[in-house]
Amino acid sequence: MSDRSPTEPTDEHTEASAGLIQYSPENMVPFGPVHPALKEPEYFKLVLEGERIVEVIPRIGYAHRGIERAAQDRAWIKNVYLFERICGICSFAHSLAYVQAVEKILQFEIPKRARYIRVIVAELERIHSHMLWLGLVGYWTGFDTLFMWIWRDREHVLDLVEAITGNRIHKSYSTISGVRRDLPDNIAEPLRREMKYLDERARFYKELIGSEETLIARTKGIGRINSEVARKLCPVGPLLRCTGISSDIRIDDPYAAYDEIIPQIKTSSEGDIASLLALRTEEVMESCRLVNEAMDKIPSGPVKLTAPRSVPKGEAIFHIEAPRGELFYFVRSPGGTVPERVKIRTPTMANILTATAMLKGQTLADVPVVLTGMDPCFGCMDRVSIVDVDKSLEWSVRGEELRQLGIKYYNNKGRKMS
Amino acid sequence: MDSSKLGDIETKVGGTITTNRNSTVLSIKPENLREVCKLVASELPDFYHLTTITGVDEGVDITLYYHFWHSKDFLSLKTTVPKDKPTIASVSDILPSSLLYEAELQDMLGIVFEGNPMKGRKLLLPDSYPAEAPPPLRKEADPEKIRKMMELE
Repeated sequence: MSDRSPTEPTDEHTEASAGLIQYSPENMVPFGPVHPALKEPEYFKLVLEGERIVEVIPRIGYAHRGIERAAQDRAWIKNVYLFERICGICSFAHSLAYVQAVEKILQFEIPKRARYIRVIVAELERIHSHMLWLGLVGYWTGFDTLFMWIWRDREHVLDLVEAITGNRIHKSYSTISGVRRDLPDNIAEPLRREMKYLDERARFYKELIGSEETLIARTKGIGRINSEVARKLCPVGPLLRCTGISSDIRIDDPYAAYDEIIPQIKTSSEGDIASLLALRTEEVMESCRLVNEAMDKIPSGPVKLTAPRSVPKGEAIFHIEAPRGELFYFVRSPGGTVPERVKIRTPTMANILTATAMLKGQTLADVPVVLTGMDPCFGCMDRVSIVDVDKSLEWSVRGEELRQLGIKYYNNKGRKMS
Repeated sequence: MDSSKLGDIETKVGGTITTNRNSTVLSIKPENLREVCKLVASELPDFYHLTTITGVDEGVDITLYYHFWHSKDFLSLKTTVPKDKPTIASVSDILPSSLLYEAELQDMLGIVFEGNPMKGRKLLLPDSYPAEAPPPLRKEADPEKIRKMMELE
């Protein structure tokens, strides 16, 4: 290895990512593929030098379901529910990006109340997604109490989402031209009460993350990237903001009612997992504030228009800030009842190359925390096979065993974990 | 967007600009793609974020859009490659983030990106995807037929 910083992308970086540089199999640890039921299972070949990772080669597509092709056979409105099924965590973000792209082709001005309701549900989803992820980081670092606490608090958000949309996960709430139903009559009081509670909890977690020594030991300085790398590899969302680049589509290119309810952008210049943790807790607080502000300002009126079955010829691109970052939709209508082409670029797709850069230079024990740290759309890294050439042995470890390995590794280094 | 600089690029490479609200499309010839990407990087440094590359099967040709984004503006480079010889130069050395997007298009529309390190390797499709089957997002691809071909293997 040269004297370059391990996370700096090099000319060899892309070649190695493509598997062109051949490494001896003794050093190769296949990581994944993960459970096919998840949205974006990924497979990483890790090249090790002792404990250190020197190269990461990604291979994705294990749960490729051909949704872009399937969309070409379905009516415009049916596709709303198809695209929601892309992701079980940010399902509303997918339907929101799609319906807004279609509304752009239709040149629809949707009712103001619907735009506000979209903000409320999108922010509730952001809170739920960030909390889910924070809990998982707690789990992967051996801090199970944090996991239990956060997932308990996450239930409060899911209850609100259920009260508003009727479903906890696949909300089926968006429709072309607005939202499918109005807010329930008596939602304002529980919404404000829960936002106050969640805001307090987020503040507590932020303090905890900044002071809990075991968590700091596992995350501080781990998976560090800088803005130079970020400009080259184009990550999105918190992964971009943790390098100090201030970019948030809600502010830069407002959609729904974000031109009237303006979020405060949060950035950090650390670029490590610890800063991602802090950043996301701050985003939860900000989302709580946005929900309250939206409830203060929400106007009365209709929540949807009547959308035509057929969409005129045209194409539109639309991107929104999903919990994980920029979610991009390209929609082209041939003039008819089905789309000609829908192209989707999910945030994790944009973040994979950056994740490989983050992993370089880390130890095998850090893999779970770095991979969950980028907040991919998978939580289940069950089934990793490790090849130990010295012992001519191949065995598979489950995600749980890898988690224990991480805890043991840091215990041996004199940092006591739970 | 700085339209004068974009106009300079347009005259330099002989493209055409069409603007629709905040979305600008610069249509260029495929052989100029690398030059334009270098010009965008040097003349419009704000547009460093390559959102993605979209490919659309138009019947005879395949249209490619390279979407760059900055603030409220999208700049899309539009180019076409013929379907019977879908080859274009890779920009993965100029824009490292394009590596996986090019690999995705290679799988989905069968476009050959000359110079992409992932040329000839699968990213999204299974390794067992039949070589004689058309790429899945081509118009002629029939999911039923592909399914039958894969079951025979």
